[in-house]
Amino acid sequence: MMYEPKIIGFLCNWCSYRGADTAGMARLKYPPNVKIVRVPCSGRISPELVLRTFREGADGVMVLGCHIGDCHYATGNHRTAKRMPVLRNLLAYSGIDPERLYINWVSAAEGEKFATVIQQFTEKIRALPPFAEVIHE
Amino acid sequence: MIDSTSVLTTCPYCGTGCGLHLQVLDGRLVGVLPAKGHPISEGGLCIKGWNAHEFVGHADRLRKPLIRKGGKLVEAEWDEALTLVAKKLGAIKSESGPDAIGVLSSAKCTNEENYVLQKFARAVVGTNNVDHCARL
Amino acid sequence: MSDRLPDLRRAIEKLLPEVDGVLALKTGPGGILAPHLFVKERAAELEALALWPKEPLPDLLKKILKAHPTAKLAIVCRRCEERGVVEMAKHAQLDLAHVTLIGLQCTHDEALFCRCAKPATIHAKIVVGTPVEGVPDSVTDDFVKMDQAGRLAFWKEHFLHCIKCYGCRNVCPQCFCNVCALEDETWVETGRLPMPVPPMYHLVRAMHMTAKCVACRECEETCPAGIPLAIHFRLIARDVEEMFKYETGAVIEQSPPQLLVLEEGEYERTGLPH
Repeated sequence: MMYEPKIIGFLCNWCSYRGADTAGMARLKYPPNVKIVRVPCSGRISPELVLRTFREGADGVMVLGCHIGDCHYATGNHRTAKRMPVLRNLLAYSGIDPERLYINWVSAAEGEKFATVIQQFTEKIRALPPFAEVIHE
Repeated sequence: MIDSTSVLTTCPYCGTGCGLHLQVLDGRLVGVLPAKGHPISEGGLCIKGWNAHEFVGHADRLRKPLIRKGGKLVEAEWDEALTLVAKKLGAIKSESGPDAIGVLSSAKCTNEENYVLQKFARAVVGTNNVDHCARL
Repeated sequence: MSDRLPDLRRAIEKLLPEVDGVLALKTGPGGILAPHLFVKERAAELEALALWPKEPLPDLLKKILKAHPTAKLAIVCRRCEERGVVEMAKHAQLDLAHVTLIGLQCTHDEALFCRCAKPATIHAKIVVGTPVEGVPDSVTDDFVKMDQAGRLAFWKEHFLHCIKCYGCRNVCPQCFCNVCALEDETWVETGRLPMPVPPMYHLVRAMHMTAKCVACRECEETCPAGIPLAIHFRLIARDVEEMFKYETGAVIEQSPPQLLVLEEGEYERTGLPH
């Protein structure tokens, strides 16, 4: 199924966004399918925001934050860790593949991890049907 | 003494006639609850029914008739307002005939009010131009 | 099994002189029940005391207490309503010190009607009726056996009939936010019927019900389209119990999980990467 998936990545300003920067500075290659939205903290990403992103036509959504314990706002990513798994389960209960929502922790120094994570998620989403097909069948 | 109770009534909006409970607290309407066991609504309501209490005490409701004087709407008494309406409608009827007048009612009115209104249109004004908000 | 109605009436009559009112159900015109605050000045009204079908009382309790902050009230509550009152207290919507709980036990038939796993009250000191065992929720259990495509089709079919009456939110004993996300155009499109997929209104509501649903089934009862809404909320409640070891309305001193940081061992239960 060769289509170009549309993926939105919510990256926190202090860790994962800088990790993306690090990947860029090291000239690491990764697929261009992820459009990055920078937020102050992954805890900012409410379930409503993720759902709206799917509603707007995203095939996949990524939420990347700081490692637990390293959040710039101390416990902002605790919110992420509590809310996002519940949302993933809800997607599953709604008949939407929970794999379309990806949550991970990427620090500012982890350029390699960032590139790998983008690569892997893009391929995973590419293997799934386009979200538009799923909801319109 | 705290006065809190539910008053069973019929929704004033469309013609379905769903039963609902107005929740009354110390003489004020504070909300609506559907009437479980009601033969028509069976415990459900549409969004209008759920908000049927909102208009009753609404700040926007008129408390006195308003007459346009000098381009502005000014509060008036009922006698003045009704006299003006009778005079003007009478003038239109004699100048342009009864069918120049239309009478538009509302589903929020009671059956009795609507009866009087159509009687007014047909017997007093002399026109069949009667309709109501749901058809507009 | 004792006859609950006369027992309840006796319990209320005994309590009535000591409180400013007892919130319970009263039979009205046409035999239709509705919430009513019984007061000592009008004790004769207890003649019309009734039990079933239940109504969502906790919200009314909150409204009365807000209008009369020093009042001492009692409420006749089943287990679900008891959960509702406790959770409201945890969210600072009412003060439990002003509330006396009269625990009304459900019958087996009533538990079946609500597909209730835990119908016996646990906090109320005054108990009316004999506690019964819970029953399985076959509707929810059958639903989880469906595969992804089946679930998607299931909800698509059901939500086709949703008229966005907001009844499920209005009747919920746990919906008390002054500013509701469901009225925000950013998340829920005004005037868009039928529901889009994903059904934004319902999924946003389900997320907001996390750690709040009291399993009263009032949402399903009021839905004019007969949508089995409780399925989402109950499945999430199961997840919350497993991930955050939190049961709605169970332990009065335990704060709801959304307001806290990660507890010991919680991260491992989320299934997130390390």
